[in-house]
Amino acid sequence: MNRSKSLGVALASVLLGGGALALAGFALASATPHQAALNCVPSQSAANTCSLNLSTFPDSLAGEHGKTGGDHPDWVSYANDNLVVPANTTVDVTIDQYDSGGSLNNAFFDQVMGTIGGTATIAGKTVSSVDPNNVGHTFTLRGIPGSDKMLFVSVPLPADSNTQAVTIGDGSYTKPVVVQFSFKTGSKGVYEWNCEFPCGGGREGEFGQAMSTYGYMSGTLTVN
Amino acid sequence: MTTTLEQTKTAAIPQGGGLARRLNMLTAMVGGGLVAWLFWFLAHHFLDPTSRTYSDEVAVSLTIGWIIGFWLGIGAFIAPLRWVTGRDNTRADDLYLAGQGQGTSRYWKFTTDHKVVGVQYIVMTMVLLGAGGILAMAIRTELIVPGNHFVNQQVYNGFIAVHGMLMILALIVAVAGPWGNFVVPIMCGARDMAFPRLNALSLWTLVGAAALLLTTLAVGSLTMGWVVLEPIADQAGIGMDFFAMAIIVFTVSTTVAGVNIICTVMTMRTKGMSLARLPIFVWGAIIAAALGLYAFPFFSLVEAQTLVDRTFSTSFFVASGGGAGWLQANLFWLMGHPEVYVILLPAVGALFEISSVMARKPVFSYRTAVAAMTGLAGLSILVWAHHMFTTGWAPTLGGPFMLTTELISIPTGLFFLVLIGTLWRGNIWMKLPTIWMFGFIANFIIAGVTGIYLSDIPLDDQLHGTMFVTAHFHYVFVGSVLFGAVSALAFWFPKVTGRFLNEFLGRISFWLVFIGVQVTFLAMFVSGLKGMPRRYSSYAIIFEHSNFITTIGAYIIMAGMLVLLGAVITSWNKGEPAGPNPWHANSLEWMVPTPVPLENFDVLPVITEDPYNYGEELVRS
Amino acid sequence: MSTSTNKNSYKGLYWIWAALTVVGILIGLYAPAWLMPRSMSNNMHLTVLTMVVFSVAAAPVAAGVYATALFALRHWAHKGDDVPAPGPQVRENAVVVTTWLVVSTVLTVFLLIWGLGALAVDNGSNGKNPLVVDVTGQQWVWSFSYPGTHVQSNELYLPVNREVEFRVTSVDVTHGFWIANMGIQVDANVGTITTIHTTPDKLGTFNIRCTQFCGLNHAFMVTEGHVLTSQQFTSWLASQPQRA
Repeated sequence: MNRSKSLGVALASVLLGGGALALAGFALASATPHQAALNCVPSQSAANTCSLNLSTFPDSLAGEHGKTGGDHPDWVSYANDNLVVPANTTVDVTIDQYDSGGSLNNAFFDQVMGTIGGTATIAGKTVSSVDPNNVGHTFTLRGIPGSDKMLFVSVPLPADSNTQAVTIGDGSYTKPVVVQFSFKTGSKGVYEWNCEFPCGGGREGEFGQAMSTYGYMSGTLTVN
Repeated sequence: MTTTLEQTKTAAIPQGGGLARRLNMLTAMVGGGLVAWLFWFLAHHFLDPTSRTYSDEVAVSLTIGWIIGFWLGIGAFIAPLRWVTGRDNTRADDLYLAGQGQGTSRYWKFTTDHKVVGVQYIVMTMVLLGAGGILAMAIRTELIVPGNHFVNQQVYNGFIAVHGMLMILALIVAVAGPWGNFVVPIMCGARDMAFPRLNALSLWTLVGAAALLLTTLAVGSLTMGWVVLEPIADQAGIGMDFFAMAIIVFTVSTTVAGVNIICTVMTMRTKGMSLARLPIFVWGAIIAAALGLYAFPFFSLVEAQTLVDRTFSTSFFVASGGGAGWLQANLFWLMGHPEVYVILLPAVGALFEISSVMARKPVFSYRTAVAAMTGLAGLSILVWAHHMFTTGWAPTLGGPFMLTTELISIPTGLFFLVLIGTLWRGNIWMKLPTIWMFGFIANFIIAGVTGIYLSDIPLDDQLHGTMFVTAHFHYVFVGSVLFGAVSALAFWFPKVTGRFLNEFLGRISFWLVFIGVQVTFLAMFVSGLKGMPRRYSSYAIIFEHSNFITTIGAYIIMAGMLVLLGAVITSWNKGEPAGPNPWHANSLEWMVPTPVPLENFDVLPVITEDPYNYGEELVRS
Repeated sequence: MSTSTNKNSYKGLYWIWAALTVVGILIGLYAPAWLMPRSMSNNMHLTVLTMVVFSVAAAPVAAGVYATALFALRHWAHKGDDVPAPGPQVRENAVVVTTWLVVSTVLTVFLLIWGLGALAVDNGSNGKNPLVVDVTGQQWVWSFSYPGTHVQSNELYLPVNREVEFRVTSVDVTHGFWIANMGIQVDANVGTITTIHTTPDKLGTFNIRCTQFCGLNHAFMVTEGHVLTSQQFTSWLASQPQRA
């Protein structure tokens, strides 16, 4: 093989191989499930304020996993994982909590932290902490420190003790505990949030399955 | 030169045998699929679906079915079955099994000829490196900017686990697989391996294991890293079961291969081939094989315990059941550190061989070389706890393990002495193998020096678990072992194909990979020093520049490896013809014709001296 | 035969070696402090110093190998496509091997002695009324509590110039508690408490990152820490909600 032919082989290898890899990459990126964004609804009355309605279910039959519940209909889930809010805005969050509960791994998360006033309104009462042995889930949001994106919000969602039955989608539940709180967003960026109540599978810490799988008990909060 | 080959080509294909002689990779896949389905069906229907471990039980059953079916389908059990039933293989059967008169179809079969197995190992190494490389590119693409933009963290965590394990498997077989099989028996003056059927078994078991490992990504939920860290592995999904079973099957393969190489060298050497006259590469191969026999039982043991924990709810590693994650870490690193030298030693042995041939000088201080390799193998089984310096396990053992770890630098330093001593004042033939060897020397120094930092506990407290460690062992595996493997490939390629690996393409590839390694991993050292931990799917803004540079470097490496692949493919049938002894070397593999005939030698040679006399009068000092 | 059998021609080798050694020593002296996070504790000062010392000690060895390799490429590479003539058939040189062994053994012993000394300082406690902080790792948050005060926080606050004793544990899987600015790291293990000491001696903010792979959001298991003056620390403690 002469030199120019060899160069041709080199170029062809890089282009063909690189091209195949790039195609595979695009295919992979587009095959990665993207859940529909839940946008914060701007308030009609107050400036720089919007509201976000979330729900937590004991299964996956009522949320974004569709009527059949996706791959794991019996896993606990947040109804939406991909939250989108504007920057420098007060976000009023309402979470309908339909699940039962138990004890936290770490009682630290029975506190309401990082909200405006350091409190949340749970079933109509304003509180700064709840019973650590009767928690259903938590909404715990964190930023990336060292990059002016520090943000820490953690609100416990008490276990649902209502008995009145309701039906949403294919799921049958009891009337939810309603938790309301507000926090202020800072600069733009993608923040991660998840639940800190041990509600997945596994024998150590119960953070398997729904807790360790993207799109059930964790998600992103995109500030833009 | 090729009369013997022509004879074997034109020899009448033995008749009879029917189905048993038609088995190949395709029937193996079908067999594996069918038995896997059967096992899945039985497990699915007869196990208790309400059990917490139901999905793991089904997954383990399925994977066991896969490998049994794969063995049946490739025909691994036919000869033993014939022996049991009193119809042992005839000479004609054995020749057929060795691939006589079957052209290229023998490469897809359970073929016992060690040269066929060697070529199959070359292909398997490239497949594993390719798959692991694709995952490396995916990982670096995810890390090119902060944030999860390409894939989410769950997919990313699967990538790092499977990338790590694929590359470890690829490098374990990268030198010892192709050349331990292709050239070691000829170097010893043997007609084949001691156990030719076990040789084929080891290769096809590796194929079965690799298939299992690749499916883990599709099955998903691999939240445990390649080390299968406990207790986090308890949270992983059924991909974890496939992963552990792939490792167990792989250790069967390496054990069989290791026993075979050692037995071949110990019992099949030709007349006059004393241990002191062995080509130095043979020493590298058998020391690594022996070390593997020590190390890999821990590997299958720890994965079996993980599987039993997951399927039968035992508690080897589950603290709430009385187990300990530290037990897993100990067992894993009892395997994990010797394994590094199982990977390194064949490459080092090959480079000693290549440096001697290319510099036209004997290996400098052959005895030192053998002693250093043996000493390193011995030391390597006493250093495992340096992977656990920061775990909190046995702080009082910190000093002793720091000692054994730092002692490693003495035999490693001797490797440099032997290589440099061999090159010293030689007439160095600057061909592809030599160029990649120089790359090894440059990179292995960086790997060694950064290893010294990590052996020191106060420094390890800072650097452990960071990208600094990742960069360090990539300098070992990519910068050193891969360079050694490519050097060996370029060196023995003419013996396999009768043609040179394209020199010009090989040099382009060398420069791309060499520069790519420096860009990628020097920048990765910077990420680590600045404070970025390992296995991060996203990172803070302060690590932005070093990660961007690392990703660009990784793309350069990929381009270089693609050029190398192009060189291998185009040179295999169309490269410049090389003749039987293109490097004018003296060891036995260069004395036989190319292509090497079945059973290698018409008449077994008698050895009177080692292969390192290049003609000039011996200078004694 | 090679043209460089003349002893004088090794001069070039010594020059390359000397030059590379100087470069290596300069890198060793300046790169660690330049690249590593700002040093904020006694442990980190020692860590940076150790890195400098090891780099400087390794520089001549590494430079020797590089210099020989470069020299070999320059003077001993065979030009042309023909088969090179045999080189000098030297098989052993007991003096060289022995010297090499002695030098590498001496260097190793030095590394070990330095390491053991540094280890004693690194792990030691000065025993003077350390501030105890209980560190809890869990998927994927750190939390800190101050025994005797009922204060719990998701960020770490420390007073300057007072020894801290971290008692680290986990409630689920293994995490790695690492303060890059203080040169300390220990795993948080479930069911076990691991202890490390350090004395912060600079005011400022630092990050705490998890170094042990812990699942889905491992990359986001990060928090901030602050070193305050002792007055600031006391008033911070007092301002925190007291938990029962």
